Amino acid sequence: MDDKHLSEKESLALITQMINKAKDSYHDTGIGAMMWGAVIAICSLVKLSEIQFGYNLPFDIYWLTLLAIIPQIFITIREKKERKVKSYDDRYMDYIWLAFGISIALLIFIVNVIFQNFHPMAVSFRELGGEPGFKLMEYITPLFLLLYGMPTFITGAACRFKPMLWGGLFCWACCIITLFTTFRVDLLLTALSAVMAWFIPGLIMEKEYRLYKKETQMNV
Amino acid sequence: MKDETFSPEQSLQLIKSMISKTRQSMSDNSIYFLVWGWLTFFACTGQFVLKHVLLYERHYLVWLVAVVGIVFTHYQGRKEARSAKVRTYIDENMGYLWLGMAICFFVLGLILTKLGWGFSVFPFYIMLYGLGTFVSGYFLRFRPFVIGGILAWVLAVSATFASYDYQMLFGAAAILISYIIPAYILRHRGSRENQ
Repeated sequence: MDDKHLSEKESLALITQMINKAKDSYHDTGIGAMMWGAVIAICSLVKLSEIQFGYNLPFDIYWLTLLAIIPQIFITIREKKERKVKSYDDRYMDYIWLAFGISIALLIFIVNVIFQNFHPMAVSFRELGGEPGFKLMEYITPLFLLLYGMPTFITGAACRFKPMLWGGLFCWACCIITLFTTFRVDLLLTALSAVMAWFIPGLIMEKEYRLYKKETQMNV
Repeated sequence: MKDETFSPEQSLQLIKSMISKTRQSMSDNSIYFLVWGWLTFFACTGQFVLKHVLLYERHYLVWLVAVVGIVFTHYQGRKEARSAKVRTYIDENMGYLWLGMAICFFVLGLILTKLGWGFSVFPFYIMLYGLGTFVSGYFLRFRPFVIGGILAWVLAVSATFASYDYQMLFGAAAILISYIIPAYILRHRGSRENQ
């Protein structure tokens, strides 16, 4: 480390520069965002086509989300190697997305337990000739969209990256709309939310990253 | 500004001071955590007593205590706005986190209004409490919040297996562990550092 002494003004300028630099470098490859946007959109659309056209795949399409964790690990390792210094922003985003991942896992668990208790009741009710007041499945999508919006909105706001900020707000708007729509529409809105919140911002990030790389190569 | 010189180590120290400044301002603002924490704790346990012990039908009315919190937040916020403090970059990020959390609580309220409040609502709320405190804890390097967040998640999972009435007690426990106790520790440390 260069042992040059900086004035207080220079120090503050350096810190601001570091923060701004970190903010730029956060939106590096965008590959992870694009991948998750595509995976969630594909899962929702395949599920929709299964319901619409009355067929069943030999496996649950949502297993694809678990498989996607493997390439995500490789993406993270590669990005960590490229980024030598971890800024405070990076850490902040890491914790938010880690907490999001844990919450999604918890949500799946909670919903499954509740569904297991609810389903037999709904079946017996139907056998007795009644119609349950609501279908629990209809309320699962809003809960997921609620969680999708959270880290996306915070990342967009903290990194001053408007496509993600709007993407997060879009997820929440869809979350409210899905309360009043059928499960098929819910799936369509989920696919659209994944594209708006992650896939499109990921594309923009990737474009910016390429430009950034080009500029740095020219400066060398 | 004084044109004092400092070494790179001192510059890094400045970043550290930003974290402690945010912690200090959170300690100053812990009154919000405490007011909302105690109100929610009171509402959860109150609803349990009204529904399970006294068999009162309109047990949910106990949640009207939230009005007290809203009025308090409004007045306290206005009072603090008059003595506006400098916001650090970390303060800003914490602000975005809790803004996101507030929107989530509101939207979850809308979902549950449609779903019916007699449904298993508490695990979802407890899960969100955990998320907010876990991230805050890591971000502020304040372990009681991290532990509180993890314990809230454990309680969210456990509450799923309990009946609706007992889920209220899980909610109260989550608030106590993830909000109230860490807020008191933060407040205590803040006042000790001020001395």
